[in-house]
Amino acid sequence: MAEALLLLRGVQKRYGGVRALRGVDFDVLAGEVHALVGENGAGKSTLIKIVSGAEVADEGTVEIDGIPLTGGSTQAAMEAGIATVYQEPHLFGELTVAENVFLGRELRTGGRVDWATQRTRVGELLTQIGLDPAIGDVRVADLPVAEQQLVSIAKAFAHSAKVLILDEPSAILTDREIDVLFGVVRNLRAAGVGIIYISHRLDELAQISDRVTVLRDGEVVASRPTSELSVRQVAELMVGHELGSATADRPAPTGDPVLAVAGLGRTGAFAGLELQVRPAEVVALYGLVGSGTDAIARALYGVNPADAGTVQVDGRAVRLHSPQDAAAAGIAMLPGNRKQQGVFANKSIAFNISSAHLRHLAKLGFWFDRRRERSIAEDFLRRISIRAPDVGTAVGALSGGNQQKVVLARQLVRAPRVLVLEEPTQGVDVGAKEEIHRLVLELADGGSAVLVISTDLPEVLQLADRVLVVRKGAVVREFERGASQADVLAAAAGDEGEAAA
Amino acid sequence: MNATTTAVAAPTRRRPRVRAIEGQELALIAVVGLLWVVLTLVTDTFLTTGNLQNILFTVAPIALIGIGMTAVIVTAGIDVSVGSQAAVVMVIVALLVRDSGLPFVAAAAVAVVVGLVLGAVNGLLVAYGGIHPIIVTFGTLNIYRFVSLQIFGTEQVAGVPGTLAPIGGGAEGRLLGVPTAWWLTLVLAAGMWCYMRYWATGRHLYAVGGDAFAARLAGVRVRRRQISAYVLTGACVGLAACVLIGSGGLVQQNVGTGLELRVIAAVVIGGTSIIGGRGTVLGTLLGALLVGTVSSAVTLLSWPTELAQLFIGLFILVAVGVDLLRERRRSAR
Amino acid sequence: MTEIETVPPAERTRGEGLAARVLRIGLTERVVLLAVLLVVVIVWFRVLGAGGYLVAPYDVRYLGNALESMVPFALLAVAELFVIVSGRGGIDLSVGAIVSLAGMAFGFMVGVWGWPLLPSIFGCIVVGALLGAVNGALVAYVRFPALIATLATYYAYSSLALISNANAPISTPPVVALHALTRNVNLPAPLPPVPLHVFTILLPCAVLAWVVMSRSTYGRSLYAVGTNDVAAAYATQSVARTRFTAFVLSGLLSGVVAVVTVGQFASARPDAGIVGNGMALPAITVAVLGGVAIQGGIGRVGGVLVAALLVTWLNAGMLLAFPEGAEGSRYQLLALGLVLVLSALLNTIALRRYGRLS
Repeated sequence: MAEALLLLRGVQKRYGGVRALRGVDFDVLAGEVHALVGENGAGKSTLIKIVSGAEVADEGTVEIDGIPLTGGSTQAAMEAGIATVYQEPHLFGELTVAENVFLGRELRTGGRVDWATQRTRVGELLTQIGLDPAIGDVRVADLPVAEQQLVSIAKAFAHSAKVLILDEPSAILTDREIDVLFGVVRNLRAAGVGIIYISHRLDELAQISDRVTVLRDGEVVASRPTSELSVRQVAELMVGHELGSATADRPAPTGDPVLAVAGLGRTGAFAGLELQVRPAEVVALYGLVGSGTDAIARALYGVNPADAGTVQVDGRAVRLHSPQDAAAAGIAMLPGNRKQQGVFANKSIAFNISSAHLRHLAKLGFWFDRRRERSIAEDFLRRISIRAPDVGTAVGALSGGNQQKVVLARQLVRAPRVLVLEEPTQGVDVGAKEEIHRLVLELADGGSAVLVISTDLPEVLQLADRVLVVRKGAVVREFERGASQADVLAAAAGDEGEAAA
Repeated sequence: MNATTTAVAAPTRRRPRVRAIEGQELALIAVVGLLWVVLTLVTDTFLTTGNLQNILFTVAPIALIGIGMTAVIVTAGIDVSVGSQAAVVMVIVALLVRDSGLPFVAAAAVAVVVGLVLGAVNGLLVAYGGIHPIIVTFGTLNIYRFVSLQIFGTEQVAGVPGTLAPIGGGAEGRLLGVPTAWWLTLVLAAGMWCYMRYWATGRHLYAVGGDAFAARLAGVRVRRRQISAYVLTGACVGLAACVLIGSGGLVQQNVGTGLELRVIAAVVIGGTSIIGGRGTVLGTLLGALLVGTVSSAVTLLSWPTELAQLFIGLFILVAVGVDLLRERRRSAR
Repeated sequence: MTEIETVPPAERTRGEGLAARVLRIGLTERVVLLAVLLVVVIVWFRVLGAGGYLVAPYDVRYLGNALESMVPFALLAVAELFVIVSGRGGIDLSVGAIVSLAGMAFGFMVGVWGWPLLPSIFGCIVVGALLGAVNGALVAYVRFPALIATLATYYAYSSLALISNANAPISTPPVVALHALTRNVNLPAPLPPVPLHVFTILLPCAVLAWVVMSRSTYGRSLYAVGTNDVAAAYATQSVARTRFTAFVLSGLLSGVVAVVTVGQFASARPDAGIVGNGMALPAITVAVLGGVAIQGGIGRVGGVLVAALLVTWLNAGMLLAFPEGAEGSRYQLLALGLVLVLSALLNTIALRRYGRLS
């Protein structure tokens, strides 16, 4: 057996009261592709942060090539031979590929960059990972995203890394681009590099990985050769023993659909979406990152309008070319990225809640009714128990969960007919999560249609009356309430046997 | 396996190479060339040695400061204090030349050193103060203007001797018929062009302007690069101040007011992105030349001189607008 | 990627000592800090005056008179407030050029075409708003960086202003008569005589601006867009239109200033707003001093007005303290520059320390 390039023993990490990692053993051999899988919150990203030096383990050891890694410095980890490639390439559009690869450690003679040597090196690197060596002189901004992704791998490799961490590299790539990526990974494996491959797309694992380690709740539940596991088995290991379904006991929805979507599509994102949500019904769209669920949400809210198909709300056809259109049609949306799309951080709770209802709160068309704003905000503060001194508190000063409650409250002010929720509880503590679920179900009980878009599988199954699984921009399976996590996950992750919808 | 993946990775698509002269610069060369041809045909005074010398000489200070300003704007900064910097340098140098009889080389050295110091203050405030560059330099614009007025005292500096005439606008200030100030500009611009294109730290300027945080993670010394850009601008202002004093005479208290806007206009017309991360010294040189040509043209055609500003405004809009469109098409692809 | 949960500042403010509390209020409540500074300035010059260091008394009458020079800068600083708050590098370098061009238009209306006063004032303000609309369209719809768009229009507008009357001012008798707009009015004792346009123009504009910023739905929308334009779009705000309107308002206020300056000079001068460093720079300085954060979304009318008052009375005091020629106005430059950099430093510190400022 080959030597272990990376060796973790008994690694533990706590964040406040949460035990993110509970004694993890993990190793990567030379010339091995080691897949690391687990649900959101299983501890993958914490593990990666520790290996790449961004965090320090509370207990346990990390050794690279037999030498212990000390101190939480990414620089030290890099020098020890760890290279990390994140999902979004961190590149400079105006610099060429070669310049990006060597940025910060140019090969110099005097102050001048040794372009000739650098070009040769880049040519070799690009050839090694299967790219056209001529792109060394091309501006990165002129390359498609997939090639940028590969360039960031080349960048990671310019400094002779021993262990390469690929954090969901395929999430934003097309199938053909993934083939290229796999070619690169295989070349690197052949060159003796140890590769940690993180992916939600379990169907990829059989193609690319030699070994699979499954994390669950901060513990390693399995570490086996890939050939011994099926997609279905991996999915079961990830979700573990399912607790008795803690789903809300809700009456079967009846009546004409509130939201009716027919043939909806947007070029390059998703196509042919058929969807009906009845009053008081909660429907979930479940798909992995890159499946197109986020684009569906944005189309329904008019942020990135659809270019095909129709949407009806309460039987009336509506035009959704902007969020204003959507709001006028009775559609509200809780955006997925709280920091960027949700909160006005340095503004008050009241400001944040009222911000989508300015015209609604106007007197004489322009005078803003601050008293009503205040009373609405105070009302929500009581209903959803936001821990804040008063509604004048800046939202940026609240915890993530409370911020999310504020943004949700904004959507509930005028009880929308259709509520689209994108990742409603990401980065939110358990208490806030329950409360958000309660608020959403309350709204549904009032006769609204709720569409949940989430990559959090337990949440999806707990909330939704129906789950539609989306892959590559199309609905591939539909599950009724009570489906098992493993089934849904396997369908979303590309278990071809079951996905022949 | 390698053979197939390589084939996939290299689809037949036009790959724009980075060229020595870029699209916008070619367009500028064409516009300036066209203007010159038209002006030659329409007026009989344009294509005269005297007029061309005059254009080149008046453009030189703007182009000189533009060299530094390009670096500053490429790092996503801006320096609106250059006019006041020029005033400080000019009054100091003019007084030293007149009252202490400072020789040419020493005067130029003093000018550059004073410029360096003024630029360093800006650079330090931007890099370490965490203040937006436009606020910092608006502040120092006022402060430097105060400094210059304080040195002026109650009177303008009259009777400055022609110590600096070798780079001035007169007959002494020419080499092979071309103003030496313009030679100086060309040499510096060429040096800066090479630096920003081939030197590691020169390339880092672009990385700083593209994404300062990511640049720092990659090991680029962001603060050092920022400071260097402002310091360089100060030094360029020093040289430009010498050119402006030139053959001497009178240095008035309002020297340099509005200079910053003319320099920024030249840089922006030259294709440097105000958001940072993109731009070349060659473009700035051409931008300055275009501005100078237009001003000269307006005079030669005996239109109101103020019309030149209207054209400058329009050129800015066209230059940046074309760039915006190109950028939008690029991101839409 | 790395979610860094800092200690929520709101929870830190509980149980703080008196000194910490004073520091926090001083840093976050800009109006309070400015008011304190204002008192310090007045007391300081009173003391200097009592010690015989001033050439003329720094008394109520003098302060009342000084308000005349405050009006244009206070209004333009409010104009910058609208634009800077709108975010994405919002700034308006063209306000001075608009003052010049709209002022020339005003001069033509009153002094050449013989329009009556009120339609002329209205026309002047409309011209200002239209010029602002050009800026707004370039920035909000074509998406020019504000600095570039307004630099270009600064050149274009000032050029048009200078050309409009062949670089000559318009000072026909009807224009000269406009000086009455800015005469001093006597107030009941103990109040000093105050320039008329403080009441007829500054106060109404200030109140209107306050209503728009702090009490109207538009103001809410503007703060939302300036704070986070992506979130504002998700919250159904028309981001482009809100930004566009900010520039229109800035132009409109510049039009008002044009009326004031024509009255003050008793002449429509083509270089009124662009001579020297122009009017935009002091306006931006006063706005930033008044607590407007250059990254957008933060700033209040009250803070800007108190800042304008502070700068005005500080300048007035220095004119008395430095009687020699231009020495007083020279020190004004120093004060303006230092105050700008220091107040920006304060903004940075306040944001870093408390995550917000008023």
